[in-house]
Amino acid sequence: MITEIGNFLLSIATALSFCMFFVIFTEKIINVGSRLLFCKLFIHLITFLIFISFCLLISAFLTDNFSLRYVANNSNISLDTIYKFSAVWGAHEGSILLWVLILSLWGSGVALLSKNLPKTIVSDMLAVMGFLLLFFLLFILLSSNPFDRIFPVPLNGRDLNPLLQDPGLIIHPPMLYIGYVGTSIPFIFAIAILLNGKINITWLSWLRKWVICSWVFLTMGISLGSWWAYHELGWGGWWFWDPVENASFMPWLSITALMHSLIVSEKRGIFISWSILLAILTFSLSLLGTFLVRSGILVSVHAFANDPERGLYILLFLTLIIGSSLLLYFLRSRYLVIKDNYSISSKELMLLINNLFLTITTFAILLGTLYPLISSSLDLGKISVGAPYFNFIFASMMLPIVFLMSPAIYSGWQNTNYKYLTKKLSIILFYSIIISYIFLNVFYQTDIFIVFIALSLAIFTIFSSVMKILQITKNGASKNIIKNIFLLPGSILSNLLSHIGIGVLIIGITISNYYSIQKEVVMKKNTEITIKDTTIRFVNVKRKIENNYSSQVGIFDAFSENNYLVSFFPEKRTYNIQKNVMTEAAIDSSFFRDIYIALGENLSEDSWVVRIYYKPYIQFLWYGAALMILGGLFGIFGRNKLSQNAQNDS
Amino acid sequence: MTRKISFLPIAIFLIIIYFLFNELNKDPTLIPSPLIGKPVPKFISQTLINNSKITNNDLIGKPYILNVWGSWCYACSIEHDYFIDIYEKKTIEIYGLNYKDDRNSAIQWLEKKGNPYRISIFDNFGNIAIDLGVYGAPETFLVNKSGLIIHKHVGPIDKNYYENIVLPNIKNE
Repeated sequence: MITEIGNFLLSIATALSFCMFFVIFTEKIINVGSRLLFCKLFIHLITFLIFISFCLLISAFLTDNFSLRYVANNSNISLDTIYKFSAVWGAHEGSILLWVLILSLWGSGVALLSKNLPKTIVSDMLAVMGFLLLFFLLFILLSSNPFDRIFPVPLNGRDLNPLLQDPGLIIHPPMLYIGYVGTSIPFIFAIAILLNGKINITWLSWLRKWVICSWVFLTMGISLGSWWAYHELGWGGWWFWDPVENASFMPWLSITALMHSLIVSEKRGIFISWSILLAILTFSLSLLGTFLVRSGILVSVHAFANDPERGLYILLFLTLIIGSSLLLYFLRSRYLVIKDNYSISSKELMLLINNLFLTITTFAILLGTLYPLISSSLDLGKISVGAPYFNFIFASMMLPIVFLMSPAIYSGWQNTNYKYLTKKLSIILFYSIIISYIFLNVFYQTDIFIVFIALSLAIFTIFSSVMKILQITKNGASKNIIKNIFLLPGSILSNLLSHIGIGVLIIGITISNYYSIQKEVVMKKNTEITIKDTTIRFVNVKRKIENNYSSQVGIFDAFSENNYLVSFFPEKRTYNIQKNVMTEAAIDSSFFRDIYIALGENLSEDSWVVRIYYKPYIQFLWYGAALMILGGLFGIFGRNKLSQNAQNDS
Repeated sequence: MTRKISFLPIAIFLIIIYFLFNELNKDPTLIPSPLIGKPVPKFISQTLINNSKITNNDLIGKPYILNVWGSWCYACSIEHDYFIDIYEKKTIEIYGLNYKDDRNSAIQWLEKKGNPYRISIFDNFGNIAIDLGVYGAPETFLVNKSGLIIHKHVGPIDKNYYENIVLPNIKNE
């Protein structure tokens, strides 16, 4: 039954999304009010139908309905309930269904929260959304249907890929998808604007909230992914420049650029056609990411799911949608002008440079990701582009951006007092350089030039943002500085918090990257090893048997100057069904460092390969990401202007 | 933005799309091996089933397929039927390299699924596999009559492996 109902619901949703798309051609026949009404009705119905079919799939997983091929391939009776739930999006078919569900939810969101926009724009936006939904629903029905049957029905399933059996992976994909798919909002906005050939500044501020919203989700998704890789993969790394990671990082860079260019467009009425182009590019990069991940043209050697047919379908759609949007942009972008003559102020110039560097970085990463394909296509042999290329490009592009953050924060839209600004920032920069120099020499007795530069710039950004907050709040309404901070407008708080976040993140990245200590040793039971100032004793290895895996648990005790600190229990798990061996690293985190132990091969009765890492400041990665996300949230939900209350107090 | 510049995005996009289409039908599991054209590395090991001694020289003489497998390897059970099909054609010998496996479970696995291998070499510690540059099971090598590796396939073979890879390559032998 579940197959029939699921297919039925999805087919109706497909038909409705076709109708929704068709509304765009009825401009001359139906008036705008009814067109909008139709679109709103359609999108809510579609969301409802997809939601029900998604619930059906969840129930199939929870009740171990192995008559569905997708369930049989990705679940198992002995799997924990929570993982049965997350297995719904553990493989291709389910994750595409989740994609579509999220797409329709964003569409419904636009339908509900668009009172500030003219009706023609909203109905055109929803019609374009209808086209996107139509494609993905057809894709599901034709080539990746999670409701397909399997016959004969197996007694038990093949189990979820053990790599995915981790708490981090329950919410990572949905978060990432929400962010990924959220880039469709600026896209449908851009298309509607180009179709109508009109633009208005208030529409842009409406768009900016949606852009920040999807930026927040993308940031959360990417940082959760890194956090998962760090905990689960067992080599202490958190970013690998793997094509799949790049696929999520490129839209992030480009939506970050969009977020900044929209500020300029909104405040000054310029860079509008650039913002529109960025909106199209961001969504194109999301689609390209989906294509790269799903077509299997860039997967690693050991992924066995390679389906060129699916890839061809996505690629054709990609060509159609991106090609036609860029063509539309080519034909119409000239009309999107609010101001003809303008002079560029310092702030705009800096935001322009920010955009330039972010775009170049995006393209450099795109080039690095696609280079293996290009070289193989030109018969130059198979080449893989590794981390050194990406690290070099990224560092050399990011440092100028970070350097410009502080002047950008301090300069105004008009009448910037350059003398004052230069003097003030030079003092802050000077102190940041001194502090970073002292810090590196006292704690690490070395100065690697790039670390010194990065650290100085990070401290510079943090200091100048904090000083800015203090400066505003000192002149603020209330005498209580803390209270004043909360009275700040959301846009200022979000700006400063996220830039502090970037500074913190850079500290985490550089120091953990350059000053980690890593030991890969063979240890016998009851021997000790010292890493930094901590002594680690290998006590024992015990067997543990769980529902769907058995595991060998190492026991390690850590001592600092003979005082017992903490015990580590790294595991090496063997999953019963797929026979995969998984490492579960044990990590002791504190503010300034992580100690990370992973159990390697068992060499003989009582000797094991053990990997021990001492990672200073790695926690700053997560703090930085959290600050950026918090900043984004203030941007969406923060108060719009200084409140009435605050003004009365003064 | 001038008209000429606004055409740039489409131009870049079209170039990217060209490469993507071009690559779509190629198989990412085709990895050129530095061993192609080189002889199968020297080894001395045991056979899986009756523990007798076997060396690389014992295989030379006729072209053969060398398949790296293990009873623990899920993808190996997928490709196994295709090896049985090739075995039934009786045109080329198949040797197995039993990779990091338990001897008893490997023998049971063959008894259950059928044994297309003339001989399976027991590579308990994966030493031979390291010399062969194996990434993981399954991998399949095609070797000519003088013992030179002429083709390497990573991942499970498909039903066209015999037609598309084996036949054209051993035609001249």
